[in-house]
Amino acid sequence: MTHYCRNSAARKGLANCHSCSLVSPVSAIKCPRCQTELHLRKPMNLQLTMAYLVTALLLYIPANLWPMMVTEKLGQIEYNTILGGIVLLWQEGSQLIAVIVFIASVLVPIIKFIILFMLCFSVYFSHALCPSKRLKLYRLTELIGRWSMVDIFVVAILVALIQLDHLLNVQPGSGTIAFAAVVILTIMSAKSFDPRVLWDDYDAKTNSIA
Amino acid sequence: MFREQVIACHHCDLLMTPPQIKAGECALCPRCDHKITRLHFNAMNNLLSFAVTGLILLFLTTQFNLMTFNLAGNISEIDLWHSAINLYFDDFKALAILVLFFIFLLPAFILLLIVFFILSLKTGIGCGAQTSLLRLIFLCMPWAMVEVFLVGIVVSLVKLVTIAQMDLGWSFWAYVVFCFCYAKVLSLVDRYQFWHWIDEVHK
Repeated sequence: MTHYCRNSAARKGLANCHSCSLVSPVSAIKCPRCQTELHLRKPMNLQLTMAYLVTALLLYIPANLWPMMVTEKLGQIEYNTILGGIVLLWQEGSQLIAVIVFIASVLVPIIKFIILFMLCFSVYFSHALCPSKRLKLYRLTELIGRWSMVDIFVVAILVALIQLDHLLNVQPGSGTIAFAAVVILTIMSAKSFDPRVLWDDYDAKTNSIA
Repeated sequence: MFREQVIACHHCDLLMTPPQIKAGECALCPRCDHKITRLHFNAMNNLLSFAVTGLILLFLTTQFNLMTFNLAGNISEIDLWHSAINLYFDDFKALAILVLFFIFLLPAFILLLIVFFILSLKTGIGCGAQTSLLRLIFLCMPWAMVEVFLVGIVVSLVKLVTIAQMDLGWSFWAYVVFCFCYAKVLSLVDRYQFWHWIDEVHK
């Protein structure tokens, strides 16, 4: 059984409404103000987070292997993956943009994967980091999640703009869909995680160690 | 401003008595520093005016071109609406829908809902729908990616200036200002205050 944290609403059997933030007894089943279902914690939050995260991780493989952009230059066809595009940008001399794209489409997804996996496992196993530090990591994932979408928007703009038949034209590769799915799934994963579970059991475990 | 006996933090579930805050002040959770609420001066009118301005600007972005690409006399232009429709009919359906949804339809929908919500608070028409309106607003909000698209435009611009002459159209500037308005609207949206406004109407 979960041992809710000291001073927590859940310990007193009170649920914080997900939608309107009214605190009411969980036995009421539905929020008296907005009729949303009441739960002490988001139901199945760890399972959902992990499910979305594993799906995203699997899709991350084709997202990196398949081309993001197919460029036809004077009849020659060129396939660009995410990393290939960044290398090309760097060589062409726009290092700043290369760094921005690298951060947005390589670093951000990887950081998110690591943090979310770590948070999910930390609930079951290690309590090395105190909850407030883990909460800061969670807020970081919520903040940076959407920025991975930059690459998709760049591809969309280039595809819409550069259509000069065989002289120069750009088409989106199959990697775009996989990558967009990765971004959407990681955002959903972060959304379904309930940071309040980080605090549960913490009291009990620290007390038993001490 | 709080009428509840107790409130709980959404990030750490700390049960507390609501603090007394004045306009312009912000309430943070004492344990985890989660921003609980911020009381703005004249929030309702500001929100309404920024949301309406945003909608007008978003309409303007569809009327002009976003940027022009000039490669040795080969000129192509894009504007938000037509390029998305072209993408759709050129068999890039998923990409077109995704992009249009994240950068245009969803922000417009959110702003419209906010305008409807505030008008319904002010006039008292459609009180029954207010709860669902609010739930819909908070459901959509994390998915609008206005500022990300702006960075996307800048990145693709820098990518292309090396090979062709690029010109920014009026739509781009409208979108920049829209982005400011949207950010302002987001900063004024506050769960506690929204629900308090509903409580006051229903009282």
